[in-house]
Amino acid sequence: MKTLFLKDMRYRQARVILTALGITVLISLILLLGGIMNGMRIQARQYVESTGADVWISAEGSGGAFIGFSMVVEEYMAFLNSGPGLVPDSASPLVFAQARPTVRGKSTKAIVVGYKLGQLGGPKSVLEGRMFTRSNFEDYRPEDPIPYEVVVDEKMGLEIGEQITLSNEKVRVVGKAKSLMFVLDTPLLFMDVRIAQKLLLGNTPHVNMMIAQTNKSDQPAQIAADLDALETIEVRTLKQTLRDIIAYYVDEPMKAVQFLRVMLWLAAGILVGMITYVTMLEKTQEIGVLKAIGGSNGYVMSLLLKQVVLISTVGVLLGLILSYVFAAAAPIFVAIHFVESIIVACISFIVCCGSGYLAARKAITVDPMIAFRGEI
Amino acid sequence: MAAIVEGNGLTKTFGTGDASVVAVDSVDIRIEESELVMLMGDSGCGKTTLISLLGCILTPDDGDLQIDGKPINAEVQDLSVIRREKIGFVFQLFHLLPYLTALENVMVAMDIARTKTAEAENRATELLTQVGLSERLHHRPAQLSGGEKQRVSFARALANRPKIIFADEPTANLDSRQSDNLMNLIQELRQEHQTTIAIVTHHEGLKENADRVIQMKDGRIVAT
Repeated sequence: MKTLFLKDMRYRQARVILTALGITVLISLILLLGGIMNGMRIQARQYVESTGADVWISAEGSGGAFIGFSMVVEEYMAFLNSGPGLVPDSASPLVFAQARPTVRGKSTKAIVVGYKLGQLGGPKSVLEGRMFTRSNFEDYRPEDPIPYEVVVDEKMGLEIGEQITLSNEKVRVVGKAKSLMFVLDTPLLFMDVRIAQKLLLGNTPHVNMMIAQTNKSDQPAQIAADLDALETIEVRTLKQTLRDIIAYYVDEPMKAVQFLRVMLWLAAGILVGMITYVTMLEKTQEIGVLKAIGGSNGYVMSLLLKQVVLISTVGVLLGLILSYVFAAAAPIFVAIHFVESIIVACISFIVCCGSGYLAARKAITVDPMIAFRGEI
Repeated sequence: MAAIVEGNGLTKTFGTGDASVVAVDSVDIRIEESELVMLMGDSGCGKTTLISLLGCILTPDDGDLQIDGKPINAEVQDLSVIRREKIGFVFQLFHLLPYLTALENVMVAMDIARTKTAEAENRATELLTQVGLSERLHHRPAQLSGGEKQRVSFARALANRPKIIFADEPTANLDSRQSDNLMNLIQELRQEHQTTIAIVTHHEGLKENADRVIQMKDGRIVAT
C-alpha cells in the first residue's frame, strides 16, 4: 500500500495544510527579505555605476564618499583636473544627500544629487523637458543667482513646470531623467551642485565627494593608490566605492534582517519538527499497533518520513512561487535571484526534513506494548 | 503434538528496587499446535505481560522462549520479523487505523510483510468475507460496530498466516450476543486456518470454548 502515508495525511488534512502553509509563509519571507536586500544592493550600485567615474575622492578623515563631507578646495580641484593618470578636467564635485522635499503637499524622501552639468555625476540628457541651468562660476563665490531647478526621476510622476519644496524653497521641475532609483526606491533629484549646497548644506562649500575618470591606459587601482598616498585625500576605486556604499546603505542597516532570515529558517525547521512531533504523540498508539503487528522501525520511519518530505516539498515549492508573486506586487524593488532561491529552497527543505527526521526518530522508539492500552 | 510456543522460567519485572513488581514469575508454559487456550486470572495477575512475552513484544528478564520450535533471542534477532511472520494480535480496543477502510486495515499487515498489493487485496477480501464482512469492505472503523471492528481485527491477525494468534480481552468491549458470535467465529477460523489461538479473558462464560484454561495468580500459573 504505497498510499498509506497519503491516506493518513488526508485524514489529518487540516494539520497537513497548516504545516505546509506555515513553511510556505516562512520560505516566502526568507526569499522576500533576501530579495529586498538584493534590490537594495542593485539600486545602490546602479547610480554609482551610472556616473562613469573611475575614482572617488573625499577629504582625509571625512568618512569617505557618500558618507561624510569634504570641503571643495580649489587647489584640490586644480590638482585633480591635471592629476597623474586622470582624464584632464574630468574631476567633478558631487553632492549626494538625503532630503525630504514636499511634493504635492506630501513630505517625501529623496536623494539630492548636485553635480556640474556636463560633467560626471548625473544624466547627460533628459527624457522630457530640459536640463537644469548650470551655475556660472566655478568658485564658491561670488553669489550666483541661477534659478532653483531640478531634473526628477521619471518614476516620481511629476510634470514639467511643477514645483516642489526643498528646505523651504520652491524648486521647479524642468526635466525628467530615466529612472535610476536609489536604495528602497528612493528617487533621485538632479540639480546644480551650487543649488544643492545652498539648499541642503547651508551654502557652505562642501560636497560629499569628487569624482573623476582615469586614463584608459592606466590601472584605476594603481592611480587611486598613488593619489591616496597623498595624506590630504582619500581615493577609492569604483570597486571599493561599491563595497563601501553597499556596506553603508545595505549590509550594516540590514544586519538585523539577515539575523531574522536565519531565525526564519530555524522557525521553519522547528515548525516542521514540532508538528511532526505533536502528530507523532497523537499517533503513539497507531505506531505501537504497527510495531506490534510486525512493522519494523524502518517501515514506521518510512511512513513518517514520506509525510515530512511531501509536506516540506509542497511548502517549499509554494513558498518559492508565492515569493515571486509577492516580489512582483511589492511596493519596493525586490530582486529574487533564481540561483539564490534554489539554494534557499534546498536549505529550507533540508532543515524541514532534518527536523522531521529527528521527530520521526523519536517516534519509532514507541514501545509496541502501548497497543495493549488505550484507544487510537 | 508439536509446541507452537514454549516458555521456560519466563520472568519479567517492571521497575527497580522497592518499586519493582514481578509481573511474570518463573512461568513455564507450552501451547500446542491448533490449541485454543484461555489465560484467565484477576486483573494485574500478569496475563497481558505473559502474552506480550510470548508474542515477542516484551523480552523476558530471565527464561527461554521458543516459537515454532526455534529459540528466540532478542539480542540477535529482529523481533518485528518474528511478530509479522509467526504471530497475530487482536487487541481489546481493536486498534484499527481510523483512516483506512476495513479492507485496507487487513492489507496493512500484509503490506508490512511486503506482500504484493493485488495478492494482499485478494486475501484481505477473502478473510473479511470469512468473518462475514463482505458488505463492509470499504467502511471505515467509525462506520463499524464493536463486533464488526473485532472481526476486522481477527482478519488482520490472520492476514500473514500466523502460527499463533494472541487475543487480549477480545470480548471485553462487546455485548453478550456479539461475544457469542465472536467466539463462534473464532472456532470457525481455527478450524479453517488450523491456527493456534491464545485468548486472555476475564469472561468465565468463554471457558467452555477453550481446549485448555490456564489460570494465573500473582505472575504465576496456578492451574492448567
